[in-house]
Amino acid sequence: MRATNMKKTNSMTRVLLAPMMAVALLLLTATAFAAAPGITGPAFNLTAQPAFTTQPDGSLVYSWGYGCASAPSGFAPAGITGTCSNMQVPGPTLIVTQGNTVSVTLTNGLPVAAGNTSILFPGFNVTATGGVAGLLTQEAAPGNPVTYTFTATTPGTRSYYSGTQGDLQVEMGLYGAIIVLPAGVPAACTTGVHANNLTAKAANQVHAGTEGDFRLAAAAYNHAQACYDREYLFQFSEMDPRIHRQAEEQSTRTCTGCMNVATEPYVPAYFMINGRSMPDDMDGNYAPQYPHQPYNGNPHMHPGELVLLRIIGQGRWQHPFHEHGNHVRVLARDGNLILSATDANSLAGPLLFTTTTTPGQAIDGIFYWTGKGLNWDPYGHGASVTSATCTPDANGYNTGAPTAINYFEWCQDHNKPLQAFPFGDVAGGGPATLPNPNILANGAWYGGSPYLGPEATVRAVGSTGTTPPSGTVANSPTDEAGFAFMWHSHNEREITTNNIFPGGMMMMMLVDPWVYPINEAN
Amino acid sequence: MRKSYQVWLPVFLVCLLTVAASAQSFQVQCPTTTITHPTAAIAEPAYTGATTFTTGSAGYQTPSSHVNGAIKCQQISGGDGFATMGDGTQTYMFSFGPLSGLASIAAGQPGTAFPSEFNTTPSSPLVPGDPATNGNPFNGAVGLMPETYTDPNTGLPVTRMNGHVDPRQIMDVGVMNGNIPAPLMAIDEDDEFFLTLTNVGQVMRPDLFEQHTVHFHGYPNASAFYDGVPDASVAINIGGSFTYYYLAPDAGTYFWHCHITPPEHLQMGMVGQIYVRPRQNRVSGDLYTALGNQQADPRTACGRTGDGHVNAATDILCSNPLPAVNTSAVGGGKYAYNDGDGSTAYDVEYPLQIHGFDPNFHFVGMTFNPEGFTDMKDKYFLLNGRSYPDTVTEGPMMTQTTDGSNHFSQPLPSIINIPAGKKALLRISDLDVTEYQTLASLGIPMQVVGINAKLLRDQAGNNLSYKTNSITLAGGESLDVILDATGYTAGQVFYLYTPNLDHLSNDAENFGGLMTEVRITN
Repeated sequence: MRATNMKKTNSMTRVLLAPMMAVALLLLTATAFAAAPGITGPAFNLTAQPAFTTQPDGSLVYSWGYGCASAPSGFAPAGITGTCSNMQVPGPTLIVTQGNTVSVTLTNGLPVAAGNTSILFPGFNVTATGGVAGLLTQEAAPGNPVTYTFTATTPGTRSYYSGTQGDLQVEMGLYGAIIVLPAGVPAACTTGVHANNLTAKAANQVHAGTEGDFRLAAAAYNHAQACYDREYLFQFSEMDPRIHRQAEEQSTRTCTGCMNVATEPYVPAYFMINGRSMPDDMDGNYAPQYPHQPYNGNPHMHPGELVLLRIIGQGRWQHPFHEHGNHVRVLARDGNLILSATDANSLAGPLLFTTTTTPGQAIDGIFYWTGKGLNWDPYGHGASVTSATCTPDANGYNTGAPTAINYFEWCQDHNKPLQAFPFGDVAGGGPATLPNPNILANGAWYGGSPYLGPEATVRAVGSTGTTPPSGTVANSPTDEAGFAFMWHSHNEREITTNNIFPGGMMMMMLVDPWVYPINEAN
Repeated sequence: MRKSYQVWLPVFLVCLLTVAASAQSFQVQCPTTTITHPTAAIAEPAYTGATTFTTGSAGYQTPSSHVNGAIKCQQISGGDGFATMGDGTQTYMFSFGPLSGLASIAAGQPGTAFPSEFNTTPSSPLVPGDPATNGNPFNGAVGLMPETYTDPNTGLPVTRMNGHVDPRQIMDVGVMNGNIPAPLMAIDEDDEFFLTLTNVGQVMRPDLFEQHTVHFHGYPNASAFYDGVPDASVAINIGGSFTYYYLAPDAGTYFWHCHITPPEHLQMGMVGQIYVRPRQNRVSGDLYTALGNQQADPRTACGRTGDGHVNAATDILCSNPLPAVNTSAVGGGKYAYNDGDGSTAYDVEYPLQIHGFDPNFHFVGMTFNPEGFTDMKDKYFLLNGRSYPDTVTEGPMMTQTTDGSNHFSQPLPSIINIPAGKKALLRISDLDVTEYQTLASLGIPMQVVGINAKLLRDQAGNNLSYKTNSITLAGGESLDVILDATGYTAGQVFYLYTPNLDHLSNDAENFGGLMTEVRITN
């Protein structure tokens, strides 16, 4: 069986989505979202192995990846049931705590023809024992181990990747992330609004699903502005299948370290987030149909929640990762907090709506969405019997009652209509007029109305929204009715999978009403 | 053979709404008054303080004093067109064209207008190719015409401008009138912006039933409904108009583009510019005090950490803190941001959009052939839609389309004229689809004052702007650069060019591409 399928789709550039989307949608209704899962140590027993990874065009791509040589100490966060096979792309996310002495033993399970392999841990002072001398670090010879030891001195997100023949081994998939949790978190991160957010989640669920706390910690750093309510890890990489095919063909050679794979010219056809292309990236963590690609990209959040984005550039190209919906405040680069020169309490990282990824570099950033400044009420409140109250706090949000259905509503726009004419139960008098619905095409993640939440949507357009009956769409009007935003590489060519659009480095981020449980469990 | 239903998962709607919408397809919206701007205005009011609100009987806040900003409107076509490349090639493109502000756009100015100008009719009917055809200096909405109907209350005929459109005028002017970049837009903070997108179809591609959308890239707290992502909301079909409604976001250099099949539509040319002028431009007194006045409105507040206002510590994405040093600067000039200290002052401004065309892809885009995304390679490098030496050709560029009419396809030169001793603001954005591009300045240093439509300042109020000789952007990024001509003399000419030296070409022509001139004038 040909492992890499280079046959281009000659007949269509925009493939009929229904078959692909059907799989993704079925799994979406099973509520499996994202977070930043991984394995805990601080001693890790890893191996490097070959296996095939899958792409949405049906290809199986011969790849190399790190995996667990034996069962890890544990998995994190607690709410996500983890597994660790002996090969995955990206490699297992190593989760440790500041101050830990981390030891990573790597055993080389790659084909003999591939030669040595290794791991670099940029940002740490690494001592290597065993193995054989390599250019950048000690390496593991075929079938043999090497051990890397370092102290996780500072918190943050960093990359790790092979230090041997990087142009080939990183391309093949030998990369991953290491997250260092802070030894202590500021009290502000576990009290006040962040405690209220936990209460709001527990109190508002109208479904059987529960929404636990899937964070690894309450803050990314021991700094009052590094608090967060939700977190995601996104690693960006690309693949040129011709390189993988060469490696596969040469992998059966019996000579040691004699593979000679041309890694230029470089024409990638696959662009991945956490090792998967769209729409596969929106399936669950540890989804069984991707045994070697356990991590996903399917971010959700409630209005007002602070979301930590751990963004790593792997591979060899930069990618302009664009987050629709708001800017991201960059907290740190490669685990280094960017603080004001005159006040350590003040952040100095830029606000970016496009967080460019650079190979080997990690960024920690904070994002939120609240609807501040929309100039219309996104909950479709009006002078109707279901109108709720909105009491602004010092920042203008309704945070006094965490159990309120409109917790974190931006109060300045409360009850302000959008539509010039009444829209279902929502009052008119607003500035805009919707055109005849027959001339609009609706998207798969359209909640059914301009409004946020099932209560508002049903009042505005009825229980089917403006879309077919719920259950066949990705953002049900009666269940979720969230605001969808696309997060994607803005080198738009990269949101394709082997010449097929849609695909590649793309995912949909959903701002879900507080009544909808965001269940990150798999 | 391309299938006709092969579009981005359209789910056509069954009308269940009770809205009293007009039954017609083309329609423009430009109300003269709204809740936020209850008095018709023909000029921006001076900024003397934050708006104060009272809650009306309908339950929402209305302005009681200090109404800031005004209503602005614009109409654009979504369709196709032809442009002239640096080597003289006439290239097909998918593009937006102007359907309002025709005279302003031809003069290289934004096509955004007050309702008093937008809601007008031309003195004589417009013809295909206008204003290139007969120079008709019309700035209103194309096709808008009064409608006569029977008032249901009085039973008498009423003639009024209510958005009714004559489709013949729309099609005469709109078909194949595409511009690259798309029509320039400019609004002020506190404005309400009504942008009507009218889909006139793509005459050269009768096999496509493309919808189009407008994504305002980088808007903080954008709504999903007006974000222009078809998967997340709605897209407009051929023969229809959709009006995007936004309260202006924070001041800065943004941009906009179609979000239908982005690898195709953006490469084919559906990219444009929009910038938001700060309310500080409407301030005549002390800038620091004026910025302090903005703290009274939680929507615009951004104090320094610990100064008692809504501030950086409580809104991590708050972007315009009061400056650390009060320079006692006084208003009356033009600024890129609400700096409060005059540090972003300028005298002349130039929007510059970086883009690239792949001639193979454009040929395929006209001739129904399969499109290759992995092999996409730009060969034309565009600044405001032109390559050198066209970038320094005065006036709009004209291209004849396949129906024999001339259109102003590329209205914006990129000549940077700076009076000696003055400052120029370059609002630089990039919508390239494949790679990063660098723009360097030979002779005048670039002062970067804003990135991604945010002022470069830390949360403690320190300015973080920096000097450089070049800036590097990928698609989806923007920044603001000030060129200071202090100490230079009239007659000097410098160059803005790309050190990606292979981009200094027009396909097979050795010299051209991403380059323009900075001219010091009297």
